[in-house]
Amino acid sequence: MNQILKNALLPAMVLAISSGAYAAGEHGGHHGGEAVGEPGKAENVSRTIDVTMMDNYYEPESIAVEPGETIRFRVKNEGALVHEFNIGTADMHEAHQKEMQMMVEHGVLKGDRIDHEMMEMDMGDGHSMKHDDPNSVLMEPGESKEIIWTFTEAADLEFACNVPGHYQAGMYGDIEFE
Amino acid sequence: MKKSILMVLLAGLAFSAANAGEYDISVDRVQIDTGDFNKEGIGYNGASPGPILRFKEGEQVTINVTNNLDEMTSIHWHGLILPFEQDGVPGISFPGIKPGETFTYQFPIVQAGTYWFHSHSGFQEPNGAYGAIVIEPEGREPFRYDREYVVQLTDKHPHSGDRIMRNLKMSADYYNRQQQTVGDFFAESGEKGFMATLKDRMMWGDMRMMKADIEDVQGFTGLINGKGPEQNWTGTFEEGDRIRLRFINSSAMTYFDIRIPGLEMTVVQADGNNVQPVNVDEFRIGVAETYDVIVHIKDKEAYTIFAESMGRSGFARGTLAPEKGMTAEVPELREAPLLTMADMAGHMEHGGMDHGNMNHDDMAGMDHSDMGGNAEMDHSAMGHGSMGQGEGETLPEDPFYAKGSGLMPTASNGGKFLSYADLKAQNPLYEDREPTREIELRLTGNMERYEWSINGTKYEDADPIVLQYGERVRFKFVNETMMTHPMHLHGMWSILDVGEGKWNPLKHVISVAPATTVYMETEVDAPGEWAFHCHLSYHAASGMFRKIVVEGGPDSAVAEGKQSEHQGDES
Repeated sequence: MNQILKNALLPAMVLAISSGAYAAGEHGGHHGGEAVGEPGKAENVSRTIDVTMMDNYYEPESIAVEPGETIRFRVKNEGALVHEFNIGTADMHEAHQKEMQMMVEHGVLKGDRIDHEMMEMDMGDGHSMKHDDPNSVLMEPGESKEIIWTFTEAADLEFACNVPGHYQAGMYGDIEFE
Repeated sequence: MKKSILMVLLAGLAFSAANAGEYDISVDRVQIDTGDFNKEGIGYNGASPGPILRFKEGEQVTINVTNNLDEMTSIHWHGLILPFEQDGVPGISFPGIKPGETFTYQFPIVQAGTYWFHSHSGFQEPNGAYGAIVIEPEGREPFRYDREYVVQLTDKHPHSGDRIMRNLKMSADYYNRQQQTVGDFFAESGEKGFMATLKDRMMWGDMRMMKADIEDVQGFTGLINGKGPEQNWTGTFEEGDRIRLRFINSSAMTYFDIRIPGLEMTVVQADGNNVQPVNVDEFRIGVAETYDVIVHIKDKEAYTIFAESMGRSGFARGTLAPEKGMTAEVPELREAPLLTMADMAGHMEHGGMDHGNMNHDDMAGMDHSDMGGNAEMDHSAMGHGSMGQGEGETLPEDPFYAKGSGLMPTASNGGKFLSYADLKAQNPLYEDREPTREIELRLTGNMERYEWSINGTKYEDADPIVLQYGERVRFKFVNETMMTHPMHLHGMWSILDVGEGKWNPLKHVISVAPATTVYMETEVDAPGEWAFHCHLSYHAASGMFRKIVVEGGPDSAVAEGKQSEHQGDES
């Protein structure tokens, strides 16, 4: 009986959490050119937030921060595929998705692993497909990484996985300013 | 927030229903209005298409099917994994449902995703007997969306299935409106040279096939959820919504190329199984396949769902709009593709059809290297299609089409067209392992007599394919015909070999293009007797069909016990 009740309740509770995220998910993009924040210093960290990456979604799907706050994100990839945790605006994510698409086309990203050698390769003019932006970590299954980030001011931000198709399928979360 | 609490309460109250559901379906004579014509057909619960059945993974379903027709009927739960005697194929799983009788299906729902159901008796399915199945997963979906719609396509024909079959038997090109004319011949001679054209034509004459023969039943009206293009099925949304569209191709004979101009689609599921998401501009849906896509609409505009048939002889159209009544531009049909010599190659190499008048000299000029090298001929044929002026070297290739095939699809906006090669399982169901053996199935036919077969033998003359419980069989499909065949195995998953090992996707329909060889593997994990056939209605009915017998099982005594238990329930 308990088991049955639990089975019935579980999806409803998931729905309750995610519908909260939807309500906040009105990305008007009207702020334009807003500050996404900057890499933070360890001594300024006020809180640590654990983020788990699954195939293809985050837990949690919404994070509340205060303007000026510095947060340590402890991100773990518990999925079977490569995932990214990237802090930015919807437009930034869209632009980054094109780069990630290129990484897939060049065989750097292979579903469940990253070809690091290929990623470092010089593509000419000093360009490479190195994935080293401070607002982002890219991880193979089982990996854990950290980002320390200072949210300088309130902005329309999302955390997102820009591996091709993942963002569109729903692998994004909202950063809400309190 | 209030809404969420309510949902929790409702879910709590409904827990008993979530684990055992009972459903009633009546099979009825219905009127079908396509906007182009009105026709009597067969439907479920008084309508065609029938209802959307919404199940929950883990649920034990009881479905009472009452036959209100004056002929036998059946319902097959397409893509569902279930005990074989619940599979609904008359003569294989059960005797069928007599007029006036109610048959009770009972089975557990052991999967999630988008599926469909249809009659497996005669031509009741092309006549309208189909509906959708949506199964909610036990856990959360691995993607997010704000709303969802079933988009069920069909190719409704003004003629009844029986009449179409009779006409095809009488003349295989009865419904082929795109036969080339004498005028075409001279136009083509101007482009290609007289001798090349003559040679080309003589070969096609020898094949007893028309070069335009991509769709052998033309003259249909494409429907979306039962609505013709003018009736314009419309799904509404709010600005910013992510919408999950569950495309189901319930056509008798027609493949569709689907796009929503202005929107990128992210394919997240194929044949009910989640795939690693792929962003595409367009995709081709074979007969009986399903694809789930997510679109994100950021404005308040209307968007057309445009589904052109593969041979461009018809289309289905619907709309996504902020409110009903809003419409967007409906694109023109692109020009019909033409089969090329490449599409004949499998046929020529294997000589699968009956061609008494085709001597060896004809064949000599047509070996594979000649075809591969003769880019000019392939190219000119493709120039008539959607590919425009593209150069041979820059044409995209897809391993699931013959090199130089006239059927090779391209996106109308020059963007990404989904290939089978893009499909990778999101969460593989089976451990990858070496197959225990390989079974070759040549897809064969005699177009002139409209006979379709496997390994040259029609269903009625063939022995069943016997598999052993616990083996992993590799099926090798060799398409020796010039038509595309969507091969459907009942009861067990078809693991499509896209060259990705453990990530190869699970499907229930494997489309095999002309002159190609496609492999799929099956974990033989379902005892009993199953159907295995081409899902083009008139190909299945004329012999491209096999019975599969799975010998052995985890515990045959238990399986028999189950069967008698069900029989007890019916009485």
